Amino acid sequence: MKAIIHLVEYDFRNFFRYKWWLAGLISMNLADLLIMAVVYNQMLSPEITELIRSYISFFAPGVTVVGLFASAFMIGREINMEVRRQIHHYMLSLPITRLELAVGRLLAGGLRGMMYMTPLLLTTFIIVGFPTPLQLLIILGALFLLATGIAGVSIAIAVSISSFEKFITARGLIYYLLFFCSSIFYPLTLIQKLGQEGIMPQPFVTLAELNPLSNCANLIRAFLLGNPPFTLDMIRNLIVFSAVFVGTATVAYMKIIQRK
Amino acid sequence: MPIIHTIGLTKRFEDVVAVDKLNLSIDEGEIFGLLGPNGAGKTTTVLMLSTVIKPTQGTAKVGNHDVRTNPDAVRKLIGICFQEPKLMWVSTPWDVLNWHAKVCGLSTSERKHRVKSMLTEVNMWEHRRKRIHGLSGGMKKRVEVAKILIQRPKIAFIDEPTSQIDVVGKHKIWDMIRELRDDGSTIILATNELYEADVLSNRVGIMHKGRMLVCDTPKKLKDSILGGDIVEVQLEKAADNHVLDELKGLEEVVEIVKIRPDDLRVHLNKVEKVVPKIVNLFLNAKLSISSIRMSEPSLDDVFVHYTGLTIEEAEKKSKTK
Repeated sequence: MKAIIHLVEYDFRNFFRYKWWLAGLISMNLADLLIMAVVYNQMLSPEITELIRSYISFFAPGVTVVGLFASAFMIGREINMEVRRQIHHYMLSLPITRLELAVGRLLAGGLRGMMYMTPLLLTTFIIVGFPTPLQLLIILGALFLLATGIAGVSIAIAVSISSFEKFITARGLIYYLLFFCSSIFYPLTLIQKLGQEGIMPQPFVTLAELNPLSNCANLIRAFLLGNPPFTLDMIRNLIVFSAVFVGTATVAYMKIIQRK
Repeated sequence: MPIIHTIGLTKRFEDVVAVDKLNLSIDEGEIFGLLGPNGAGKTTTVLMLSTVIKPTQGTAKVGNHDVRTNPDAVRKLIGICFQEPKLMWVSTPWDVLNWHAKVCGLSTSERKHRVKSMLTEVNMWEHRRKRIHGLSGGMKKRVEVAKILIQRPKIAFIDEPTSQIDVVGKHKIWDMIRELRDDGSTIILATNELYEADVLSNRVGIMHKGRMLVCDTPKKLKDSILGGDIVEVQLEKAADNHVLDELKGLEEVVEIVKIRPDDLRVHLNKVEKVVPKIVNLFLNAKLSISSIRMSEPSLDDVFVHYTGLTIEEAEKKSKTK
């Protein structure tokens, strides 16, 4: 347990070395929120406005999830750099078990995502309204599941791909696929409607329905806006996503990294 | 009972055999020099023994724990000073050492004391708050060396500790390595610096192309070169054939090279024993000696003897490959 705490400390220390860059990113996320709120709200069709009340209320949980995604994914970038510069040899030589090492890095990635996301979540609460203590606990739990799952995806890719360029490309693909096929920017019902009309390919609709980003954003909306309604499927999907990628990353980190 | 024992330890990277059936025993408390050019397989051996990478074949016991079946126990005994400093570029020397000491289980007070004293010892105290990416190669190396000196592991793997370090710094680090040994650590010193291996090691193993060619004390390795010792004698007048025959008759003498009639180069073994005999021989023959100079073979000569190449040639060949 001590070893895991030390690893989390190591990753947090490195995370905060980029504090000005992080501050810039948070400002950008908040600026996105403001721009969307002012501009998009005026551009939406009455049909959509009826669905989501106001775009700023709808988009604020989405921005929170986007921020969480970006910051939790950062751990992979660092691990990929460590592998390329062979700093992972040092990590593998420490008096720490491989499992502790993998869990420590995953946990750190997840917690860093949570920390980065906190000002965005607070802004969301200020804009949309505050949840009850129980709802807050569920929201935080869901966000943590999402953060560790994303850290898992990122670590699994980081140790499987040696080239930094390929890592960045993979990250870009995942970003766009998960952001595009999600309910971050537009309601899931709209995507499903586009699917029924044959405008959006069905696999993209299915991905949007199962997408952990959709589930997390919708869970926050469910508690704060009452729409879409809260379902246990949201939690179940997040648990499955987190379990799959935490498991994959753990195995990848324990097995693949030793061959590098 | 050796503290490190390898049996047929082999590592292959696709078609390249980096370490080939290495059999090695290292005793507790010794400084064992793993000597060879870059690409000889020293670092790969260190990485396998420290459980960082897995052997392809064979195995090794480190502190009586098998590196394959019980790597966690092995890692509790070891520490590595890497050839290329493994430091997170955004960290500072203080943070690197403090965190390393923490992970290695040092108490808070011990940690602070050791980190401060070691940063001072390696002349990095003033630079302790600078980012790693802003440090010179030598400074990074000193931080890397400080890690293992703070940790004081039971078994220390030190890979080229003085590369990029100035002469004064080298001597300081050598003293620190000796102190580490005196405090009870067993040290495996991987190096391509022959002099470093010679002055520090109790025993030296010469590696070339992934194989261990020979392993013994530096003295025995040097003595193993037949006629490796040289005595150069300058006489006041030429030595006649009778004296030269008598000189040849000494059992330690291997060859006599006449540079000039009054200038002889004698290739022999055990120079320290035979020099008095040579001096007596010339004095009895009423030949005055103007000067006499003795030289022992170095580990360079030992390396050439066993590989047919100088260490520089071996490095060039390995780079060409």
